[in-house]
Amino acid sequence: MTTLKLSSVSCRHGGLSAVNDVDLELSPGEHLAVTGTNGSGKSTLLRAILGLHRDVTGLIEVYGAAARTRADWRRRCADVAWIPQRQAAGQFPLLVRELLDSGRDGRAARRAADELGVGDLLDRPLSTLSGGQLQRAYLARALGQVAAGARLLLADEPTAALDFAGQEQVAEVLAALPVAVMVVTHDRVVAAACGRVAEMAAGRMREVR
Amino acid sequence: MSQILALPSVQLAFAALLLGSIGLPIVGVFIVGLDIMPVRFAMMHVALLGIAIGLLVGLDPLLCALVLCALTGGALTPLARSSTGLSGAMGLLMTLAIAAALLVLSISGVNANGAFELLWGSILATRPWDVAALGVLAVLVPSLYFWRRRDLALLLHDRELAQCSGVAVERLTLVLLVVIALAIASAIRLTGALLVDALTLLPALAARRVGRSLPSMIGWSVVFGLLFNVGGFVLALLLDFPPGPTLVLVGGLCTLLLHLKGVKR
Repeated sequence: MTTLKLSSVSCRHGGLSAVNDVDLELSPGEHLAVTGTNGSGKSTLLRAILGLHRDVTGLIEVYGAAARTRADWRRRCADVAWIPQRQAAGQFPLLVRELLDSGRDGRAARRAADELGVGDLLDRPLSTLSGGQLQRAYLARALGQVAAGARLLLADEPTAALDFAGQEQVAEVLAALPVAVMVVTHDRVVAAACGRVAEMAAGRMREVR
Repeated sequence: MSQILALPSVQLAFAALLLGSIGLPIVGVFIVGLDIMPVRFAMMHVALLGIAIGLLVGLDPLLCALVLCALTGGALTPLARSSTGLSGAMGLLMTLAIAAALLVLSISGVNANGAFELLWGSILATRPWDVAALGVLAVLVPSLYFWRRRDLALLLHDRELAQCSGVAVERLTLVLLVVIALAIASAIRLTGALLVDALTLLPALAARRVGRSLPSMIGWSVVFGLLFNVGGFVLALLLDFPPGPTLVLVGGLCTLLLHLKGVKR
């Protein structure tokens, strides 16, 4: 069964069209990099899949299920791991430990945090982390979600705040994931590690590899 | 002093302040976390409208204020998706509520002084019913926190992270707004509508300076609530000052000192 299926998906921001008539199928274990200029609709498309962007038309299915009811969206949240573009450091304190536990398998997330070099920051509020540490913590949370059964990982510029070594490490971690991955990126290393590459321009998606 | 403490009105006031120090500061943490400070101000106006309606129809004014605030809090939920969505609407709500309150008081022909006394509050006029309402909040609010602390920590940190973590964001926001509205209506008797922040927001703002996580913020907010309220009230009795403004000033100055001291989170 297809992991992710988008049929004629369009998204609007008020009067502006952000995503235009996108069709896409992603099979289990397939990795897709989505590139494109700023404002081309990449992040909006990811947010639409998660239900964070509401002004959406077309059909979005994860493992054959569209999300219409509250129970559907709950299932979608369990099926999809997410690394947001602008990780919330939050005005309100949240500890790294609490962030990792929110991904449903806190133990796996902590193991991942150890491997990513942020395992010793568990009792630190997110607001005290550097951009790179925050990004690694969110990646560890996403890996915990995958360990808990998420079958699709959506990552929005997961290496934007990392140094070169960090970018390579994250690219390797993403490439080794057995689940379907859709990653929005401007990072050539991450894009090169994906089996498929699509480019977005003016809200339209075009597969380039 | 012991003679003053033996007065039933003083004992009721103490009981109200002690119970209020448990539930109300936690509500303040919710307000700060949701970044919906305009809501509590709008709720004061809605409470005045409820009081006016109570005076008009001959029901308990505070009960009417509680019910109207709870209904309004629930109705605000769709706007709470962003703080900007709430701040604009709150200006409208405040204006409409206070205008409607004035109109109701005018056409009912009742003495408006009774309603507007509640702007200033009178802690020594606390009734057993007010203490009971604060007692319910003292149980309800910490229970809500312990029952939903993981979801609350995520929601108060970031709404989208909470939503993607499977938290029923809309439903939890609805519950929080109703609890906030009820708490504000219940607290008005103690310090008055204009100073109700002292019981909710000041302990929460002080706790934000020292708390590193939601559990520690909740704990510190209750500690600060007790210190500000009891300390302020005792000081007012000793100096023969009006209790409401005194305990607000004690809380405000302590919060200011904490901010000036720059305690690191």
